[in-house]
Amino acid sequence: MTRFSASTAAVVIACALATAGTAAQKQPAAEGKAGTSAYKPARTPDGQPNISGMWEPGPGRPFENPRGGPWKPPAGATGANGAAFTFFAPGDQLPGGRSTEKGPMVFDPPDGIIPLQPWAVAKRDEIIAHQDKVEYLDPRVRCLQSGVPRANLPVFYNSYQILQIPGAVVILYEWNHMTRVIPLDGRPHLPASIKLANGDSRGHWEGDTLVVDVTNFNEEVWPVGSGAPPEGAPAAALTSGHGIVQSDQLHVVERYWMTDADTIRYEARLEDPKVYTRPWSFRFDAFKRGQPNHQLFEYACHEGNRKNIQLLTGVDIEK
Amino acid sequence: MRLHYAWGLVAAAVVATGAYVQGGQGRGAQSTTGALARTADGKPNLNGMWQVLNSANWDLEAHSAEDGIPGGLSVVEGGTIPYLPAALAKRNENRAQRKTADPLSKCYIPGVPRVTYVPYPFQIIQTPKYIAVSYEFAHTQRIIYVDGSPHVEALDFWMGDSRGRWENDTLVVDSTDFNDQTWLDNAGNFHSDKLHVVERITPIDATHLNYEVTLEDPQTFSRPWKISMPIYKRLEPNLQVIDYDCVSYFWRRTIKSDSTR
Repeated sequence: MTRFSASTAAVVIACALATAGTAAQKQPAAEGKAGTSAYKPARTPDGQPNISGMWEPGPGRPFENPRGGPWKPPAGATGANGAAFTFFAPGDQLPGGRSTEKGPMVFDPPDGIIPLQPWAVAKRDEIIAHQDKVEYLDPRVRCLQSGVPRANLPVFYNSYQILQIPGAVVILYEWNHMTRVIPLDGRPHLPASIKLANGDSRGHWEGDTLVVDVTNFNEEVWPVGSGAPPEGAPAAALTSGHGIVQSDQLHVVERYWMTDADTIRYEARLEDPKVYTRPWSFRFDAFKRGQPNHQLFEYACHEGNRKNIQLLTGVDIEK
Repeated sequence: MRLHYAWGLVAAAVVATGAYVQGGQGRGAQSTTGALARTADGKPNLNGMWQVLNSANWDLEAHSAEDGIPGGLSVVEGGTIPYLPAALAKRNENRAQRKTADPLSKCYIPGVPRVTYVPYPFQIIQTPKYIAVSYEFAHTQRIIYVDGSPHVEALDFWMGDSRGRWENDTLVVDSTDFNDQTWLDNAGNFHSDKLHVVERITPIDATHLNYEVTLEDPQTFSRPWKISMPIYKRLEPNLQVIDYDCVSYFWRRTIKSDSTR
């Protein structure tokens, strides 16, 4: 089973969202801010706010505002593998349904545009223009790890299980069998010489909010990117966060808090002095409660990728 | 792909298992429980970093050292694996091509039980209903359901479908629903999709577990057979899973060696 076609076809992001710019100017309600929820979660036996359970992707909406104007797909085009171009148009299917929140997930800066340094804008243009070349290809399509915070953005074929033990919160991701063990015991980060695709996570509870500090990133994966961009769309039109590189200076601070019994709201602040002109933040309802008998199924991404590897590199992995 | 089995059936199984667990607090016949840490629900506390230290990953049977391969004793009860004749020929064919044909050389998920004895550590995360294992090799993930739920039906997975239960202080994990793609070691020992694995994990003391595995596969073996080995606790302070991101190394190798690009 190949996941290449699924990941490119299933989730196509908005490029013709003419109203995004104005909608983004609305300020989010106070309820949406980290730690402001009136909801009091139950406690685990060791006293942590209980966020354990089966979770599914939260409702989707544009991740960012496009830095260029809206892009009109060529006449007759149907998008990647037949999927619709306008991912956020009425009727389009989204992994977790459609969010009623207005504007993009990026709320700081208030224009909703990721504050890339000029070289990173140029690099993004280059990457998105060459998605047919393996050297530029979305790391997720090559079955590399999702990265952080990208792992929490809505995508098809993902669900989550959160386990809590004394001293740690553990997030198990269905997508490409990613596991994050987040120690809560105050231990220091790994030495800076150790680099990881998903970074090194250290957490603590601030009231009912789980705060996770993530460092020690390598440069192999992308920090954000929701779904898959439509074929042919220029980087300046994207609202999905695709094509942004990360440096080993990336520093992510995540916040997870429950706003009701079935919702974990999520906020992340990204700082990377080699890529951004300033830190920036996004938030959305990342996890929606799954059925109690839900289970994560094995996602054998690389194992099913033989045909695509052959197509992209000429190498048959089985020979 | 998303399957949900009948919730009513699961609920019935949970009730039945709940009664079993209530009566399951006795002492394991072979375990030394004196220094053993326990979880809040009274089970042996398996949380932490663990690793197998032997050469089973290269060959389950007794073997001499070779270039890049440490020699070792057999971990198989009785010494050799009871293959059916055709399967033994296939194993020998596999072995002759081990350098390229071993699925691990392609960064594929190792399968069970091999994932336990690849030469990389793993972390156990233990809760009353779910025991998760995070492996360093290729960020392999395993979730063992200890909630009394039944196996999923008619599916196949690289890692199989694992359902566990406690028998006194022994964690018994029953795994089915395997595909026929994984090897049991680098020496070409293999199985079909009829593989059925029962792992018995019993604490010896606070820092050692006994790992005993019964493998059954009527298409490949003439009878069920067993392997056993110790699992050692990694005692370094603050040690954690440091991903061996095999697929990433695969791509670097593959893109570099591709002359057409």
